Amino acid sequence: MGLDFVLSQFASFSDSLIALASDPTTYVYLSCSVFLGIVFGALPGLTATLAVTILTGFFGNKFPLEQSLIALIGAYVGAIYGGSYPSILLNIPGTAASAATAMDGYPLANRGQGGQALGITTTASFIGTMFGTLCLLCFVWVLLLISRNIASPEKALLALFGILLSGTLMSKDLVIKGWIAGLIGLAMAMVGLDPILSEQRFTFGWSYLLSGFQIVPVLMGAFAIPQIIDGMRAAASAPKPPVVGRIVPNLRDVLRRGPTILRSGAIGTGIGGLPGVGEDVAGWVSYGVAKTTAKDGADFGRGSINGLISAETANNAAIGGALIPLLVLGIPGSPPAAALLGALKINSVIPGPTIDPAIIVHIVAILVMASLTMFMMGLVTARVFIMVLRLPKTVFLPIVLVLTTIGSFSVGGGVNDLFLMLGVGLVAYAMIRMHYPIAPLVIGVILGGLFDETFRRSLLLSDGDLSIFVARPGAAILLSLNVLLVLSQIPVVRQALRSLSDLAWNAKT
Amino acid sequence: MDDKLALRARDFWTSLVLIAVSLLFLWQTSEIPFFKADAAGVDSGAWYNSAALIPYGVFAALLAISTGLLFVAIKDGGASHALRTVDAFSDRFELTRAALVAGIITFYIAGLVPRVDFIIASALTMAALTFGFHEGSRAAMLRCFAFVAGPALYALAVHPTRDQWAKPHDDDWVALVAFVALCVVSLVVSHREGRMSRSIKLTPLVSVLAPTLLVVAMAFGFRQNVPNRTGLLFSQIEYHYYVDVLPILRGR
Repeated sequence: MGLDFVLSQFASFSDSLIALASDPTTYVYLSCSVFLGIVFGALPGLTATLAVTILTGFFGNKFPLEQSLIALIGAYVGAIYGGSYPSILLNIPGTAASAATAMDGYPLANRGQGGQALGITTTASFIGTMFGTLCLLCFVWVLLLISRNIASPEKALLALFGILLSGTLMSKDLVIKGWIAGLIGLAMAMVGLDPILSEQRFTFGWSYLLSGFQIVPVLMGAFAIPQIIDGMRAAASAPKPPVVGRIVPNLRDVLRRGPTILRSGAIGTGIGGLPGVGEDVAGWVSYGVAKTTAKDGADFGRGSINGLISAETANNAAIGGALIPLLVLGIPGSPPAAALLGALKINSVIPGPTIDPAIIVHIVAILVMASLTMFMMGLVTARVFIMVLRLPKTVFLPIVLVLTTIGSFSVGGGVNDLFLMLGVGLVAYAMIRMHYPIAPLVIGVILGGLFDETFRRSLLLSDGDLSIFVARPGAAILLSLNVLLVLSQIPVVRQALRSLSDLAWNAKT
Repeated sequence: MDDKLALRARDFWTSLVLIAVSLLFLWQTSEIPFFKADAAGVDSGAWYNSAALIPYGVFAALLAISTGLLFVAIKDGGASHALRTVDAFSDRFELTRAALVAGIITFYIAGLVPRVDFIIASALTMAALTFGFHEGSRAAMLRCFAFVAGPALYALAVHPTRDQWAKPHDDDWVALVAFVALCVVSLVVSHREGRMSRSIKLTPLVSVLAPTLLVVAMAFGFRQNVPNRTGLLFSQIEYHYYVDVLPILRGR
């Protein structure tokens, strides 16, 4: 029964791909959105999340979901790839996802091999996206079948795990700052009518707040406003990119490094699949693993092709990985996937075990088409993107402000959504200055409602018996993961664990 | 080391704010029925069913973690450093710059967009951000900030309530005059100081074209709602679109 279902989905994937490829409008949407995505990725200060969020505002729910998804996924794929341009040519990561790319890309460009580096990056990004897409296509069905047995206790604990994990991994200073950001997000999700009793919470008599905080203005506020203020704060004239030679696809060079690609693809997809952990972590982890395992590990940071491939393959493979928990459980695997969740929700599609499999098939087909478009564009129009790097921030950031404002206004809430965006934006900027990660806050806002509803429903079903969170094997595992994650960050516990491991080591030797 | 100390000093203040906010919202949560709840006359009361359950947990956790952050800040010397100095920014010039950008964005979103024609409001803001921050001189930044703050404060003062936002258009005219004046003054100053770059020359054109194209695409292409449809310029565009352009597009 399960196998029949999976096989039928593979068949419908090929149908969907053929239908998409034979529709001329697909190419219009894809070429525009991938182009826009690459431009957003290439301009330092603009991110993949922002590209997807702004397009969500434009497409809203007035366009058919199929077309909106082409535009949003095209922009997502394009932006993750586009970040490599300034990383390689200017040593300034266009997006956080491409920070690891700069380590070896920039030394290559300094040696006059910028064209070769861009060719390798384009090829590696294409292979990475296809790898992640293949994993999405293979694993999503299995997980979807498993997820149909997931009940409220597991959902609540998984949502909590997503917030905690995102807070733990995205924090660049103290881990508790990531948790605080996640808790602020959770607190924001409590505003409005509660999902079970419709009790008003923290509305302060303002009717706009009855429906809670809308996702799109929160996303725009959290990701756009701080970028604009920060970009303008330290704006300098745009540096001049170096002269780049011929950009050619470097399939032979890349495919010769098969083990690196496979490992990086697997790491990227795996990390992308972790709730709330994005492409940037995937790029760095893959780069770190490649450095320690490769024969030329000592050359990493000095223009190693292996280093470049490991970072770029992983950050693009993370796209497919990030969509797995989004589609199967409704938990975004990365910040841009959170923006995609916002787009799905305003189109009344609730990702999770009950999602229509046709949507998953359609998304996978779009990913294949988008990565092909990105590959072609990367080779044909690379010089345009290099020219884009010359745009000063003081010219493009004001345009982004207007884009963000009109996008946020249009989604539905009007001026109130703008006020919300402004408030969230100013708070997010202050938090960033204090070294708090913003992604956990957004994940908290998105997953807060799910956590609240499923946690209380679990208790309702068990008449307040807390053992429901350990009675089911899945819930028990997830609870253990949550507890271990928290305990592992407490200094006393860490010290005790280290002492135990030292004792064990001494006893062994 | 100094950076870390400054960061811990900021953490000290932040943790105090977070503790206060947690306590405030715990008190707010206490107004939601916890041990007994009635919904639409039906007794649904049990602690595990209460709408206050998760907020209590969230704000209690926030209180605990913020207290932890306070201890870390004190332990690492942040408290003593915090009491001597407040330095969210190591560079005062950057602080001014960030504050002015944040101020312009606030005036734009809270003052201009709801009340003034979207094209004019956006053109004024874009021109101010580019003219003021491209070269980055303090005088240019302050001048551009004033050019946005003036019309925004006027609109806020004269048309404070929602029923006055759409009409009349006096605030639209004030913003339009401010935009023209800002462009003239900035171009003259840049020319006089010999800082006339291509970006500066094109700013007035880009500032008008970008929001016009965006709002037209949004309203007529993407069929989305746009701010202030009755604004001075957009109302004319909308009228001519439906009366003149659309019939031509439909072949009539």
